[in-house]
Amino acid sequence: MNANIEQLTTRPMGMAEALRDAMRIALKSDPRVFLIGEDIGVKGGFGGGFTVTLGLSDEFDPERVVDTPISEGAIVGVAIGAAMVGMRPVAEMQYGDFVFCAMDQVVNQAAKMRYMSNGQVRVPMVLRLPVGASQRGAQHGQSTEALFMHTPGLKVVCPSTPRDAKGMLLAAIRDDNPVVFLEHKLLYGGKGSRKESAPISFGVDVPEGDYTVPLGPAAIRRPGSDVTLLANMLMVHRAHSAAERLATSGIDVEVIDMRSLTPLDMETVVVSLAKTGRLLVVEEDNLTCGWGAEVLARVAESHHHLLKRPMRRVAGPDTPLPCAAVLERAYVPDVEKIAAAVRGLLE
Amino acid sequence: MRHPIVVPDLGATGGDVRIVSWAVKEGQTVKEDETLFTVETDKAVTEIPAFRAGVLMLISAAAGQSCAPGAVVAYLADEAEAVAGRPPATPSARKPHIRLRAEASSSESLGPTVERLVQAFSTMTLIRRYEEHLYRLFLQGLVPGTLHQCQGQEAVAVGVCAALRVDDLIYSTHRPVGHLIAKGASLDAITAEIWGKATGCVGGKGGQMHLADFSVGAMVSNAIVGANIPIAAGSALAFRMLGLDHVAVSFFGDGASNIGAFHEGLNLAAVKRAPAIFVCENNLYAASTHISQATNIRDIADRAAAYGMPGVVVDGMDVEAVHAAAEEAVARARHGYGPTLIECKTYRYRGHSRGDPGGYRHAEEHQAWLERDPIERTRTKLIERFGAESARLAGIERRAQQRVEAAVAFALASPDPEPLDALTNVFVE
Repeated sequence: MNANIEQLTTRPMGMAEALRDAMRIALKSDPRVFLIGEDIGVKGGFGGGFTVTLGLSDEFDPERVVDTPISEGAIVGVAIGAAMVGMRPVAEMQYGDFVFCAMDQVVNQAAKMRYMSNGQVRVPMVLRLPVGASQRGAQHGQSTEALFMHTPGLKVVCPSTPRDAKGMLLAAIRDDNPVVFLEHKLLYGGKGSRKESAPISFGVDVPEGDYTVPLGPAAIRRPGSDVTLLANMLMVHRAHSAAERLATSGIDVEVIDMRSLTPLDMETVVVSLAKTGRLLVVEEDNLTCGWGAEVLARVAESHHHLLKRPMRRVAGPDTPLPCAAVLERAYVPDVEKIAAAVRGLLE
Repeated sequence: MRHPIVVPDLGATGGDVRIVSWAVKEGQTVKEDETLFTVETDKAVTEIPAFRAGVLMLISAAAGQSCAPGAVVAYLADEAEAVAGRPPATPSARKPHIRLRAEASSSESLGPTVERLVQAFSTMTLIRRYEEHLYRLFLQGLVPGTLHQCQGQEAVAVGVCAALRVDDLIYSTHRPVGHLIAKGASLDAITAEIWGKATGCVGGKGGQMHLADFSVGAMVSNAIVGANIPIAAGSALAFRMLGLDHVAVSFFGDGASNIGAFHEGLNLAAVKRAPAIFVCENNLYAASTHISQATNIRDIADRAAAYGMPGVVVDGMDVEAVHAAAEEAVARARHGYGPTLIECKTYRYRGHSRGDPGGYRHAEEHQAWLERDPIERTRTKLIERFGAESARLAGIERRAQQRVEAAVAFALASPDPEPLDALTNVFVE
């Protein structure tokens, strides 16, 4: 499928449409695939909280697009039970924040079943989590990737472009492990009355048809020689904008999209660091114990000789996420903060 | 709502009642007082009228069969329920095999009935001997890790699992030995697992609370109270999606009925008509907390009404009663009528886990339950009612003890896992 990805015709899509396309392809090509979540299976409904599944409930049988009561724990539990007997469920939390209602199922069950069975069962399921600040406050906007990265047995991926979103979702559905799949709400793309969205600078030309993007490798979004800048999801685009702005001052930033956190592609990071000697991590999640902390720790343990300067992080502060626009802007790293941190590494 | 139609005790003798004929077919609407079926006792032939209007559903005892008084032989459903409750339009490729409970009471099959009861006695005895043997070893400090035992609850495990096929799944709990043995799991492999050996059913990664035998449909038992409820519902739903007529059983205790997973799992299973059976082993204590301190209703089965599924209370010390209830629930599930909650009133003779002497329980209470012991009751019935030879039953007990000791010997003689096995099977590579 991947062999001729470059030959597939492309079409500009937002991430929501790209994800929908992936699920449609998966549903059509594999009878074991089904979707399960809240407000996703209503005929004529609105396709989940962010229109990602819009129309699929009209195209497919209710047993393929399973609408559920408000029962996050049961959504994940049912997905696990179905996956263990051979299905490939794609479960959706309406907001990523709601996954905490299902944490036992995610952490104690999905992640551990293969290990606890000593390899006798597999849990091929995807758990889709819409994350990211979008002026909805502390319980509808946090980023949760670090928590899952801390849990052995889960793959954790977080695409930043529609092209990756489609290919990685198809790869996640075909993966034999539980995959936590984070989607940033501001990258879904405008739909109807939804005006909220962030500009996506690249990766909007989405191949038509079936292709996968492997889970694991990071993606270099902008090669550079002065500073290695790691980011994920929305922060990739802000990092990219900051890099373009800094380029006008002669600063050459390499932007790497950490679109997979488990597995974590340290090789790409280290190769870049060998070139630049300077590392900046940008994440929207809270600073403490974030994925950036893990990357910095691994560099400090094994690759500190590559560093010309102490490593830096730009992240959300260790507070809950505020709601008001002015407060949220203060919380979420923006282009100015990122650019300033890069300059700091070069002083 | 579906309303069960039971066989009335016409003779007030508790004797069997024979169904002569059905006056109404499945799917037909009846008025109140319209004749449903005709029964015959040793005293008389009687027409049984509908106690309410409704649609006749799920006849489980055909004409000519005998039933014990109290047996549910069909349901009367509200019109809307009957329409919604019809099985999927594309029935499973495989015809389900269902033994009707009435069969057990017919005189023609007295032989098989007795043999089934002997089999139940044998399996319950094996569980009891196993648990008691491990308890003695534990007291000598010879059992590694933790221990949650099920002495007293054997009839639940055996009664339910006897109603299942090998390709039906069970999801057990932190107290799994009875369920695993009843489902036919390898005694050697589960024992080696308790001893943390490489030959253990999950290679030493699980321990006493995480036993499995996938070859007989015993999934990894779950040590998070209530967590297996939505998982079992998921497997059940998947069976239907796959066009299979398998069912999935979740075992859990009275304590689990108070955790959110119970509510979410039963509700979702009910609205999706998952072919699942939820078996609550109400042994009166959630660890040390008595049910009266944790639950403001007498019967946990009452909670089924909140989800629109049948809730059945059954004597969990009576293996035949458990079996009958389980068979009915399995039949409902296989036919596409959705899940059932079965509450088995039972008692665990030992503490919650190792080292719990059960000081929170009264000796009189304990004694009262011992007098209802499921194995002794079965023994008495086999001998007094069916004329089984006590020597035969003693032989069964002797062989059970030998099997238990052989399993422990196997475990003790087995090698430890390699230390680096700790790092394997996190992911499917």
